[in-house]
Amino acid sequence: MVSKVICYAIRGLDGVPVEVETDVNKGIPQYEMVGLPDTAVKESKERVRSALKNSGLLFPVNKITINFAPADIKKEGASFDLAVAISLLKASEQLVERDLSGIVFLGELALGGQLRPVSGLLPILISAKGHGYRKFIIPAANAKEAAFLGDAEIYPANTLKEVVQHLLGEVTIAPLQTEEFIASCTAGAKKTAADLKYVKGQPIARRALEIAVAGGHNVLMVGPPGTGKTMLARCLPTIMPDLSFEEALEITKIHSVAGMLGEDGIVSVRPFRTPHHTATTVSMCGGGNKAVHPGEISLAHGGVLFLDELPEYNRSTLEALRQPLEDGKISVSRAGGTYTYPARFMLCASMNPCPCGNYGSAERDCTCTASEIRRYRKKVSGPLLDRIDLQVEVDNISYDELTSSAEGESSESVKERVNAARNVQRSRFEDCGINTNAEMSERELSTFCPLSSECDVILRVAFESMNLSARARSRIVKVARTIADLDGCDEILPKHVYEAVSYRIYDKMD
Amino acid sequence: MTEKERAILWLAACTRTNGEERKQLLEAAGSPELLFDEFEKFSKKVLKQGKNGLYISDKASREREVNALLDRLDRKGRFAVTCESRDYPALLTQLSDPPPVLYGEGNRELLNRRKFCIVGSRLTPPWAEKTGKMIAEEISRHFVVVTGLAEGGDSAAVHGAIGSGNLICVLPNGLDECYPASQLSLKRAVREKGLLLSEFPFGEKVHKGSFHLRNRILAGLSEGVLVISAGVHSGTLITVSHALDCGREIFAFPYSIGVKQGEGCNAMLKSGANFVTEAEDILSMYGFCADKKREVSLSDEERRILDVLSKSGELHAAVIAERAGVPVYEAASTLSALEVKGLIAKAGGNRYSAL
Repeated sequence: MVSKVICYAIRGLDGVPVEVETDVNKGIPQYEMVGLPDTAVKESKERVRSALKNSGLLFPVNKITINFAPADIKKEGASFDLAVAISLLKASEQLVERDLSGIVFLGELALGGQLRPVSGLLPILISAKGHGYRKFIIPAANAKEAAFLGDAEIYPANTLKEVVQHLLGEVTIAPLQTEEFIASCTAGAKKTAADLKYVKGQPIARRALEIAVAGGHNVLMVGPPGTGKTMLARCLPTIMPDLSFEEALEITKIHSVAGMLGEDGIVSVRPFRTPHHTATTVSMCGGGNKAVHPGEISLAHGGVLFLDELPEYNRSTLEALRQPLEDGKISVSRAGGTYTYPARFMLCASMNPCPCGNYGSAERDCTCTASEIRRYRKKVSGPLLDRIDLQVEVDNISYDELTSSAEGESSESVKERVNAARNVQRSRFEDCGINTNAEMSERELSTFCPLSSECDVILRVAFESMNLSARARSRIVKVARTIADLDGCDEILPKHVYEAVSYRIYDKMD
Repeated sequence: MTEKERAILWLAACTRTNGEERKQLLEAAGSPELLFDEFEKFSKKVLKQGKNGLYISDKASREREVNALLDRLDRKGRFAVTCESRDYPALLTQLSDPPPVLYGEGNRELLNRRKFCIVGSRLTPPWAEKTGKMIAEEISRHFVVVTGLAEGGDSAAVHGAIGSGNLICVLPNGLDECYPASQLSLKRAVREKGLLLSEFPFGEKVHKGSFHLRNRILAGLSEGVLVISAGVHSGTLITVSHALDCGREIFAFPYSIGVKQGEGCNAMLKSGANFVTEAEDILSMYGFCADKKREVSLSDEERRILDVLSKSGELHAAVIAERAGVPVYEAASTLSALEVKGLIAKAGGNRYSAL
């Protein structure tokens, strides 16, 4: 008899339905798997055999053929185990008269019959729901993640035996209660212990971060080592607007596929990713020789990608960031197919002003020559710098400042201003399909950022006197727009332009 | 080109004689033309054995050599000025060993104008660069500014003077070389608008002693020298000592005590150099009147911040904001405005200083 059970494979961030067909025939005992299973799937043979035996079920001593359809997609991972076991039971007539159509089985089996969690569950559930499936049996360990789906019957099971008993009607598993999503930035702040109020001094850098977050701009912090650049960057998620459910779901999908979902089951805090500067292009952008995994930039989607010591990164790795920075997504092409992952992140980078780190310091002398400094800074290419709207110097703070107990403004009150500025932008860009000032193209720039003749003159003079590069102009206007939004001004005033100009310290480098 | 000039050019460029030998040869022959005509005769007398053999050639081949060299110069749009040329800078002859030949590229007329030298070390603080640039701009209205092509102080002078075109850059290498290589675009700009000079033949790269030789020309060409920045061991000091040998006026920026980039300047001031804070200080020494400072319109807030900054030296933006009683981000905006208007300079690390 042939049985059919539905399972899901993951391709990129989408689930693809896979039918597990099992045929049990009389003949020499044999156990065959067809339909492009990879090694992990083939190994399910032994897991299923032991799990059945240890759950008090019968493993048929017949000729068994298992087929995964469609046969042309490569099946990877261990999430097919449960479906294989159920399909085998059905084919060997241990689940007679049970209608299994319309139920999606997901889970990895332990030898003892326990169900182990699988990665990428939420994206699978979302896709399956889109395909019309409403009933799911999943590992109990994935329950938290699945609880946010809503409008579906999801049965979390601990063991294979429980699943079989549930299907036979002997034991009922209670379906999952849908959970309400609460964006919890406060919970996140507790976890990272980051809050702007603990940052000592740094009024200019704080202001730059506020503008950056308000307008969705990328930011570069330049300062001597040990001045709190990382600390400042860690505060970024705490002043970013709360996640909406849709955003959280999208971020969760990525983290789920990467197998990096925490205990909460959903990502409720904006991610903050800090890949080390030895990171390869593949780890940054995504890839892998078998399964294509999302890279750091996708894991930072909706949050912050913090690159500490920017010039130390591999040049080609940095250059690879340019296109995602523009498009907000990355397409990873491999022999197995092309996968597109979202990658709309805020780039926050930090670097020393020169190799010795003391350039521009009041206390210590810089021992670098001009050409050394130029060589150091040239490691970051112009086109990449071009995508970083704000460049700010971080102060070398004194010991007194460091030990003073006075607290700065808290992240919460900064966040209020950020939210207000974001609301202004949301209503402005209602029909444009963008959300923030940083995403404006030339067309929007001319519609929403008309410059008074006075401001235009200022820009012209600034360009001449400060040797600004031509490409800096639209960046300055965008930042000026955000500063005006924070100020609650409809019009861009000269002071906004001047402040925006002050955040272009690196254009004057060459 | 006269026969005399051709003779000098050949002697300096096509033989491997040094200054001392050239002097002896010319003395022995009595005139350059005679030396050119009968070089074999005099070289046997003057030059050491062995070296002597190298120069055995007839007059025709000497003519060919000079013609080839002049051809090459012409093709590249360059020229050679010899110490016998009409436009050889008169002041240069006051040097103990004036260069017999100078190669040039650009505006040859600048050679006969009044010249003033502005130099600085490669490590020049931002405020000094900005002030140096402004002073160079004003000086270039009355003098041709003479400087090098290095980063820092020299570049500041170049940037200031290049607008008027009254600019001579003297190179420590052949005209077709560029040192440092990063200054190539600046070198091109000087060639277009001003004049490049070098005593070194084409293809000659920078070596240990070439800066020393170049600095003597900087000093020799000019009526005075302004030092923007100089550490204790700065090469700029070589220029100054040559200038003193020729009896030129020395000018220097004052520096705070303990600032390494300015210790050399302070030492010069101590031993009698002229104190310079604006172009007027230099121009008045030569009987010129500095142009009226152009009035910049300032808002109340800009004036307040500028006042705060003028009262003390270098200040952090946060401190300026506190003293002026405005929020930091407003101060940042105002400071940026003042910077654009050229009244203050960024010193790095969010600190500013008034100019």
